[in-house]
Amino acid sequence: MSATTAAVPFWRAAGMTYIGYSNICAALVRSCLKEPFKSEAASREKVHFSVAKWADGKQEKPTVRTDSDE
Amino acid sequence: MAMAALRREGRRLLLSPTVPIPSPAAAAARSSVVSPPEMAPLGARFVSTQIVRNRMKTVKNIQKITKAMKMVAASKLRAVQTRTENSRGLWQPFTALLGDAPSVDVKKNVIVTITSDKGLCGGINSTSVKVSRALHKLTSGPEKESTYVVLGEKGKVQLVRDSKKSIEMTITELQKNPINYTQIAVLADDILKNVEYDALRVIFNKFQSVISFKPTVATILSPEVAEKESEAGGKMGDLDSYEIEGGETKAEILQNLSEFQFSCVLYNGALENACSELGARMSAMDSSSRNAGDMLDRLTLTYNRTRQASITTELIEIISGASALEG
Repeated sequence: MSATTAAVPFWRAAGMTYIGYSNICAALVRSCLKEPFKSEAASREKVHFSVAKWADGKQEKPTVRTDSDE
Repeated sequence: MAMAALRREGRRLLLSPTVPIPSPAAAAARSSVVSPPEMAPLGARFVSTQIVRNRMKTVKNIQKITKAMKMVAASKLRAVQTRTENSRGLWQPFTALLGDAPSVDVKKNVIVTITSDKGLCGGINSTSVKVSRALHKLTSGPEKESTYVVLGEKGKVQLVRDSKKSIEMTITELQKNPINYTQIAVLADDILKNVEYDALRVIFNKFQSVISFKPTVATILSPEVAEKESEAGGKMGDLDSYEIEGGETKAEILQNLSEFQFSCVLYNGALENACSELGARMSAMDSSSRNAGDMLDRLTLTYNRTRQASITTELIEIISGASALEG
């Protein structure tokens, strides 16, 4: 408990949100799994989407967030 | 009605080489009624049924496609439905703890509209867009700001038309892989980092059954607003009765909570919407295959009737010719 309490200000200061923090923790836990559970869990952490910001009613160039290697 | 259209089509596209002997009388009679560009080829006596045959083939193919789409949607639906129902357990504790505050009045509203990337799924995308627009109207006013974050291609297309100035972000290609929490969490992280908000309003179609979807609004307050609300009492005020472990302050806890709540609500919303999309597609495809079937029946009837009519006429001609020779 004390370790997490101590960690909080640091990741907050690094500009991370709680979601980012918990995601990293979750990835760590998943990487500790043994096969065949590991690959099963890995299939559940695929990220793929494309984000586009808008400014003055115009769409800017979309960026694709993906972790699948192509 | 159908007959008239059929005749017109037939006349326009009738192939002249199929008719061996030109009959000037028939052509002359026709030309007096029909305008020149639509004139029948020389010697055309009956309507060609080829057009109808082609049309019937097309309709049959469309019916096959819609049936296949229905099957695909139905098989996908089952998996997504289980995941959706499981994901409801993620946001329910939050609502129990923090309550839902759809009526909260804040300055910066961000409307997160969840729609699908693909069409052919009935009116679910229009419903979310309509609700978003209504909410936008409701929350915008003097000194107030209300912006959109749109998930999905279809919602983007609809919102660009009239409120592209208020769109802040659009996210597409979300459903390339099956939706998982990691993906939505990364997305929620991106949204939180890029927009300023006092209240996030997530709009999605909540899956009730295969034929019923309810447009739903989930409200997530920013930590500051949440703290104000909790001081004001109500459901949020109960938060003080919880013991907080560790050295974190209430503000920190609230910030963590609201961020996590957003990702959970977004995850559930995306799943609910995906589920509704598949359900809607299923029923839309079902009714379109039924319509194709009806159309096919009508066309078949017309086709057979026309064929029968031409056969009858030919018979009459032969018989009367023969009897004229005898007499």
